[in-house]
Amino acid sequence: MLELNDLSKRFGRRVALDGVSLSVGEEEILALLGPTGAGKTTALRCVAGVEKPDRGSVTLRGEDVTRTSPMFRDLAMVFEGFNLIPVLNTFDNIAFPLRSPVHQSPEEDIRKMVTKAAADLHIDHLLDRPVEKLSGGERQRVAIARALVRRPAAYLLDEPLSALDLKLREELRVELRALHRSHRSAILYATNDYHGAAALGDRIALIDGGRIVQTDTLATLIDHPQHVLVGKLIGSPSMAVLNATSRDGGVAIDGTDHVVSYAELGIAAPAGGQVKLGLWPEVIELADHELAGALQGTVQASEFRGLERVVQVELGGQTFRKTVATSFDATFGRPCWMRFPAARMFVFDGETGVRIGKAAPDLAKR
Amino acid sequence: MKNKHLILPVVILGLYTLYNVGPLLWLMISSLKSRPDLFAMPPTLLFEPHLAGYEAVFGVGAAADSASSHGVFASLINSIVIACSGTVLATMFGTLAGYAASRFNFFAKGDFMFFVLSTRMIPPVAVMVFYHQMFSSLGLADTWTGMIMITTFINVGLATWIMKGFFDGVPTEVEAIALMNGYSRWYAFRKLVLPMVRGGIAATAGFSFIFAWNEFAFGSILTTTEAKTLPVRISSAAGATGIEWTQIFAAGTVLVIPVILFFYLIRRHLLMGMTFGVLGKKG
Repeated sequence: MLELNDLSKRFGRRVALDGVSLSVGEEEILALLGPTGAGKTTALRCVAGVEKPDRGSVTLRGEDVTRTSPMFRDLAMVFEGFNLIPVLNTFDNIAFPLRSPVHQSPEEDIRKMVTKAAADLHIDHLLDRPVEKLSGGERQRVAIARALVRRPAAYLLDEPLSALDLKLREELRVELRALHRSHRSAILYATNDYHGAAALGDRIALIDGGRIVQTDTLATLIDHPQHVLVGKLIGSPSMAVLNATSRDGGVAIDGTDHVVSYAELGIAAPAGGQVKLGLWPEVIELADHELAGALQGTVQASEFRGLERVVQVELGGQTFRKTVATSFDATFGRPCWMRFPAARMFVFDGETGVRIGKAAPDLAKR
Repeated sequence: MKNKHLILPVVILGLYTLYNVGPLLWLMISSLKSRPDLFAMPPTLLFEPHLAGYEAVFGVGAAADSASSHGVFASLINSIVIACSGTVLATMFGTLAGYAASRFNFFAKGDFMFFVLSTRMIPPVAVMVFYHQMFSSLGLADTWTGMIMITTFINVGLATWIMKGFFDGVPTEVEAIALMNGYSRWYAFRKLVLPMVRGGIAATAGFSFIFAWNEFAFGSILTTTEAKTLPVRISSAAGATGIEWTQIFAAGTVLVIPVILFFYLIRRHLLMGMTFGVLGKKG
């Protein structure tokens, strides 16, 4: 449906995109998840045609559109910051795509379609307002309505929910999902919010430093992370990553004398000495009382979340975060005990961050 | 006065206003005086207004047939035509060039922008002679066309820079949204971007008009009779028969009024223009 092939773009010396390849299926929402400055916006702008890639191509419905003017690409985009044209009122902003020479529709159809799109996003009462009078959240909804009013080949959404408060953001995610069920179009959805990517994306493409780290379903990303960055970008709290050294027929966690053997990890001895051990916090067994054969660490910080608690644990000079029950004694500086199930550990190369061993054969090529 | 801490600012602003407005009031009052009142010492504040100066400027009443009066009125027309045409052209070219400079990358853009601005750095006196030679040999000396060209030249550089600043304040998403929805860039420029910078256009036109209206150096060397502008005409009002003071003051008043009127009319746009950078950024 929509394909990005080896897209590269630099601004002066700064590399914004470095060989980005992605493919969005016919009725798929592909979430592009990455930290600020990872290249999400540049990627979307290249697809839109507002930015020219230095290298690579964009294919839409099997047709190379890399050199096609944005006028004829048949895409709709919600931009991150600025979206609404101040010289038009809310209605005219939403109707804007339907009145262009390329997509022109009769005025009575426009009225129907705009009213429908506005109703879908609960902004029908704002239609005759000037856009300067709208709040940040209302503006974003108008921008989404303008994108959804037309049925383009694909939608490009760049952080469309970032200006909304948490409750509204969650509501709108559900609504976007519902709208997608009726629209059934390809959506490339850029966000730095893990929850948004998890809730909306059929698959998630992780991007960092202008490179795609891994593209998979959330379940596959969790079961088979191919890079240590996957652990950084996925999960809340994210993966516990501990520096470790390969020695004595196993991997020793730095700052402790705990050694996990290669056999337990199911890997061959790595070439380099330094590795990173990754564990989803959910599989770590953590207790505020002594456990047999457990490692001892310290509670460094704690965040009370009402029904649960997130603690930051220090172990041999390294830290990780984990959600625990509210009954957990998280007094600052208190000792705590933890057990790491070796079978659930991921080993990453200390330098490159690439996963070592145990990669499922069908995932190796990604 | 209720607020004591307001006294000092009011005094300072009052003095500053007097310093600026005083000469203007003096000019306007003097333009209405008869010759004996004008030279009376101490100056008279209560006098019978005389319109002889204005009659001379506009060539009406007693001065209808005098040769000098025709000259002043014609100069006023010259100034209006030249300043307005030059303003319109400079603003138009400046708007187009400013948009290009704001949105597109082209060869040696930085050098180009510096060159554009440098046209305003050169003291006119330094190049006047050469312009005179050029315009004379092209048959443009002492013509409206020639003076409109010069007025446009001296203003287009600054207009380009001011307009570039205003276009920089308009997010490029405006054109991106238009293009992606099937509109041309030209449409986006005309119907979306231009309305967003109308304050800037008003400000640019305002500045251009002031410079054009007050332009003296080029007018004094490139015009002799046909296209002589009002500032040049006034400075040369000292004729063989002596200095026509009332006429000079009346012409001076006429010279000041359009500027005040023009700024009064566009004052709201100027304010909008100044706040635009702040308000325009918000999505």
